Amino acid sequence: MMLKYVFRRFLQFIPVIIGTTFLTFVLLQVVPGDPIALMMKEHISPDVVERVRKEMHLDDPWLQRYVRYMWDAAHGDFGESYKTRRQVADMLATAFPATLALTAASLLVAWGVGIPAGIVAAIRPYTPADHALTTFALLGVSVPIFWLGLIFQLVFGYKLNLFPISGFKGVEYLVMPAICLGLGSAAVIARLTRSSLLEVMNADYIRTARAKGLRDRIVLVRHALKNSLLPVVTVMAIQVADLLSGAVITESVFGIPGIGRVSVGAIQRRDFPLLMGSVIMTVVLVVVGNLLADLSYAYLDPRIRYE
Amino acid sequence: MVTRPSLFRLMALVAVIALALSSCTSAPAPAPAAPAATSVPAAPPAAAKTGAKTLTVAQDTDPGTADVQLTTEEYFLPLNLYDRLVEAVTTGPLKSELQPGLAEKWDVSADGLKYTFYLRKGVKFHSGDVLTADDVIFTFDRMLDPATKALNTDFLDMIAGAKERMDGKATSVSGLKKIDDNTVEITLAAPFAPFLANLATPAGSIYSKAATTKAGKDFGTKPVGTGPFKLESWTPDSELVLSAFDDYFRGRPKFDKLIMKVVPEPQTMALMFKKGDLDVFDLDFARSQIPEFKKDAQWKDRIVSGPRVGTYYMSINQAIKPFDNPKVREALMYAIDRQTLIDKLYYGTGIPAKGILAPGLAGYNDALPGFKYDPEKAKALLKEAGFANGFEMTLNQTTDSPTTLKMNEAVQAMLAQVGIKAEIKQMDSAAWSGTRKEGKLGSYTSSWSADYNDPDNFIYTFFAPRNSVSRSWNYQNKAVQDQLEKARSMTDMAARYKLYQEIEKTIVYEDFAFVPLFHLEHLFVVQPKVKNFKPSWNGWSNMPYYGIEISD
Repeated sequence: MMLKYVFRRFLQFIPVIIGTTFLTFVLLQVVPGDPIALMMKEHISPDVVERVRKEMHLDDPWLQRYVRYMWDAAHGDFGESYKTRRQVADMLATAFPATLALTAASLLVAWGVGIPAGIVAAIRPYTPADHALTTFALLGVSVPIFWLGLIFQLVFGYKLNLFPISGFKGVEYLVMPAICLGLGSAAVIARLTRSSLLEVMNADYIRTARAKGLRDRIVLVRHALKNSLLPVVTVMAIQVADLLSGAVITESVFGIPGIGRVSVGAIQRRDFPLLMGSVIMTVVLVVVGNLLADLSYAYLDPRIRYE
Repeated sequence: MVTRPSLFRLMALVAVIALALSSCTSAPAPAPAAPAATSVPAAPPAAAKTGAKTLTVAQDTDPGTADVQLTTEEYFLPLNLYDRLVEAVTTGPLKSELQPGLAEKWDVSADGLKYTFYLRKGVKFHSGDVLTADDVIFTFDRMLDPATKALNTDFLDMIAGAKERMDGKATSVSGLKKIDDNTVEITLAAPFAPFLANLATPAGSIYSKAATTKAGKDFGTKPVGTGPFKLESWTPDSELVLSAFDDYFRGRPKFDKLIMKVVPEPQTMALMFKKGDLDVFDLDFARSQIPEFKKDAQWKDRIVSGPRVGTYYMSINQAIKPFDNPKVREALMYAIDRQTLIDKLYYGTGIPAKGILAPGLAGYNDALPGFKYDPEKAKALLKEAGFANGFEMTLNQTTDSPTTLKMNEAVQAMLAQVGIKAEIKQMDSAAWSGTRKEGKLGSYTSSWSADYNDPDNFIYTFFAPRNSVSRSWNYQNKAVQDQLEKARSMTDMAARYKLYQEIEKTIVYEDFAFVPLFHLEHLFVVQPKVKNFKPSWNGWSNMPYYGIEISD
């Protein structure tokens, strides 16, 4: 049953991928900027641009190029980047581990900070601890990542010399970026956990559990928390997409060689094959994230079954 | 009963992610399977040696490829991995000269068509192979081979047979000939005096035939040259590690490792430098930091400045009225306060320009009088021309350049002082270059920096008949055009430079066709341990680091 469901969800990939790649391709035709000219910058020579455009088949009609691209992609050939002339698949494979590490680390921050903070606020509502959380959550969602990143670098990287400022050579390089990127999500999760838990705490079955004489802690962990986490999981799935887009900025500020950096460069240089490749990859990640969230419902709530 | 397992599973999920995280971070540099990180024959880890001397520099984008035939911008790798037949060497302030490189000497035929290069014997590639004439011919042929899809063909397309090769009508270049293992003869399609200067640019870098053929498409990440450094590892968008080449023909570099970090954020770069993570900070990446470093007691004496062989200018399109009137054009010369532009926009790090050629370029004429800021004179000239109440014009730029906008706003205000109403028109880069190519673009401010050390690179680029239209000058002076063609084929360099100076004088001081603005300095800050740091002759950010020493 479950396998069938997963398979069906994978089939849904196909229209999503076609839709997003087509949209991206059309957008790329509309926005101005010639990839060869952009690559040559100041030392542009019209003759060279003309010749290389022809050699790269950039003068063919765009629909023809799109169909050819998708045909090749379906056969596993994602083309080569205009700038590096390397296989797009290789470039993305090289960049992926860094993004994965960053996203996973910031998810840890988001959950590790968000859920406990939400619980504390919910079991002691309207206390100073709760107000502190509300303030933290407001800051967390409103502070821009790049600003926070620069402040972190200045304070913890430069003045206090606790962490490396930029680069990606070990776990210590991930601490500041993960906190920067994860804090916004942590704030959202904390708020959500709090309100969801408060709601659940008023439910009849909690009263029943208490009436049975169970200890507060057991009531909280076994009865309340599990039920209140359901909406939190939904949000977490959406946040995979959020974190990925935030990773673009975080990677630039902290010099992490991930997918975000590859995409930004590809956009700036109108490096079509590279950009198409990173769009496809991002779409797949987001869809898989959503799928994982859907599946985790079944674990959290046995009443949910996939037919 | 279901409660416990599901919560447990959630925790398990967290644990799995944590595990994935730790396994990723323990080996962030791509594992051997990842094709990006290149390893040129695993060099003995120099860092393991105690006291390995390292120079760490940074730039904001990844070079992308080490194949200089495929880039007109990313010269860090080519300048440090390869050598050229002839080298442009900085010999003093504002001076550079062509010196023997891989060619120990050369002859030029009297008609300026045949160049014979005698190669240095026993020069070794990083792969251990010895350089021969075949490598030179292979390299130049590869550039012109249409299969390469090269971007730097402009530097070689004057060779006889180059056009046919590029068009796919020939399978070799007729002008490239091997005389013997150590002698190459290159014939040009027409005399072209700056040919040697051309070969001294990064585009003239010589590759190893064997290694390049073997690497095939991977050559961009597995480069093999004869240069002072060889590529040890490359993590894209992160860092490149080069190590000293023991068999370098000029002698091993005086330090062991050259690291280029890719740091996209300029503020981050500045902090890294201050912390000591970087040894050289190129202030071009963060001009706004110049005043701060100049004030800082720790750094103000560590600033090294070099000229940038480039000229900022404002264009005039003579096909647009009233710029057909020389008096109007002359008025523009006096209407712009160059020193204020330098002071306000570039923190005083430059000098007003007096002509087209930049200081440091062969043929630069320091004796030109220049134009003083004189709004009254400009007004008088406009009155004489019949525009006592001024006129309207446009200043054109692309939408994505805030620095150009700042400059144009300043120029706009200065022009307003003499009654000229300039409208700043922003358009996307495709429209901008499209309109310019048709010769229909109004005035714009821009800059040009030297590709090769020859006046031809500046004046011909702007004012050869075709370029004069495609760059939207529409300046037509038959005498100047004839002189430009003549100068290209002259072999007596001193006489050539003199001719260029005359041409420059005609264009700027008689026809008032080019509004010189300023030349900028290029500032770097360097750590005290870095000795003998000299910006390269052309003031580029990408430079050869061979001559540097690192003190303990």
